[in-house]
Amino acid sequence: MVLRTLLCCALAGFAWAAPVQAAEHAARGPAAKSASLAVGAALDARGRLWLARVEQGRLQVSFSQDGDASFSAPVAVTAAPGIVVADGENRPKIAVADNGSVHLTWLQGLGKPMAGHIRYARSTDGGRSFAPPIIVNDDRQEISHRFDSLAIDGKGGVAVVWLDARERKDRGAKGSPETQVGLYAALSTDGGARFAPNRKIAAHTCQCCRTGLAWSADGPVAFWRHVYGRNVRDFAVANLKEGAPRRVTDDDWRIDACPHHGGGIAADGQGDLHIVWFTQGARRQGIFYRRISGTDFAMGEPMRLGDPARQAGHPAVVAQGARVLLSWREFDGRHFSAWAMLSIDAGRSWGPAQRLADAAQAADYTVPLIDARRALVVWNTAAEGLRVLPLSEDTP
Amino acid sequence: MKRLLVVWAVFAMTVCLAGGANVAGAAELRPFTAGSLAAIQAHFAGKPFILTLWSLECHHCAKELQLLGRLVREKRNLPLAIVSTDSPADVQALRAALKRHGLAHLDTWIFADAVPERLRFAIDPVWHGELPRSYLYDAAHRREAHSGLLGEARLKAWLKQNGN
Repeated sequence: MVLRTLLCCALAGFAWAAPVQAAEHAARGPAAKSASLAVGAALDARGRLWLARVEQGRLQVSFSQDGDASFSAPVAVTAAPGIVVADGENRPKIAVADNGSVHLTWLQGLGKPMAGHIRYARSTDGGRSFAPPIIVNDDRQEISHRFDSLAIDGKGGVAVVWLDARERKDRGAKGSPETQVGLYAALSTDGGARFAPNRKIAAHTCQCCRTGLAWSADGPVAFWRHVYGRNVRDFAVANLKEGAPRRVTDDDWRIDACPHHGGGIAADGQGDLHIVWFTQGARRQGIFYRRISGTDFAMGEPMRLGDPARQAGHPAVVAQGARVLLSWREFDGRHFSAWAMLSIDAGRSWGPAQRLADAAQAADYTVPLIDARRALVVWNTAAEGLRVLPLSEDTP
Repeated sequence: MKRLLVVWAVFAMTVCLAGGANVAGAAELRPFTAGSLAAIQAHFAGKPFILTLWSLECHHCAKELQLLGRLVREKRNLPLAIVSTDSPADVQALRAALKRHGLAHLDTWIFADAVPERLRFAIDPVWHGELPRSYLYDAAHRREAHSGLLGEARLKAWLKQNGN
């Protein structure tokens, strides 16, 4: 048997080696999943850069206080190795409050496709140790609870949203006109010690795109790919305190498919919202940015980002005061590049798109970060390692 | 690197143990690499065929596989190449899903590249990864791309039009 296996594998190697490079590809094959390039990052009030990354099945947190030249010894958030899902649309999230508390959410995989629990853990001693993680979703079926987002207000408010299939009934193939997946939220007012019971914010959402969450002056605002009518995949926002979802894109993307390609949201210091998203709709195709007024909810014209011929994708946005930073990734068929652009007037005008770096091999989505001092993009790459890329802040 | 080699060897062994000696045949999951689309096209030279891309991480893909499985029961040698965009680490789950839908005997593949986007781009530079994704190749291998479920009516009409 052993002999047959070895012989078989030798043959397999031979058969699969055709045409060229297959052996090398083959050796690298499983790397995409095991390498877990997807990281979470945050800046704290002191300007330190915090990182959440998965190493050998454990979620670990470290920080840099020397301009990102070196990082502290990682502290494990999950004690035992397990499935911490870290791919583009499901990355660990980290937020650090002014009082030094560190908050994380992530997706715990349950070993079968699409099944997972949303986990939350916090540190109240500046990241030296973490309390045992809790499961945020109060439905405990081994089904899809995925695509978590995390936001804090720095005053004890912690919000988590995710996509949740708990109301899905027909698990067979017949299908219902509704996706039976919804956006759910859990809120804490005591810095993450306790969460109120889960609340359903919206039904009939898209099933496989990352969500977004930003804490605005009016409270936490979620952003997600919704399904309008039978299959129009446009985006919506909802203030988690006020509830009602509002449609914020009109791309008219009718598709019975999983885009695996969501968007992001940020709230600036003036109360405006900033969204970025991907679409292949009838009305527009590519990645886009839009400003939404916090006073009258007036929406600006969508602004295209990046080069669609280079698969510009996976945009993200952060804001601080009147500064708004957008980043995205492009791919020319061989190599990825990281791009960003900055506004210093709350998204009314923009500096030039900056190509920050290229990657020779696999690369994560870009993670933009901003505070009063810096605008930077964290980009984890297989060949070049974790990169911290500052933007030049010449006024536009 | 060593660890990756081990993972790959385990994958190869798993496939071998389950697939027996049928290594070079079309009846096992094969790694889809840079040259695989050309190999599939060569296999169907001068004939129409359907290229279906799917993933375990895609709600709609199960419906698509179910439809294909139903059509395959009606016509066992449907000209079909089925490519999963998951990774070789998922081989067991993939095999189970294909078997469940009665598709395991067909020409089936798994994305096997550390940069799966390269494979995607090589198939079609304007495809962004939404799934399921289908390409309907006519006999001259002019192809029609479609994102999302094809639907039974459309698929049957295409098959009829293309001599199946």
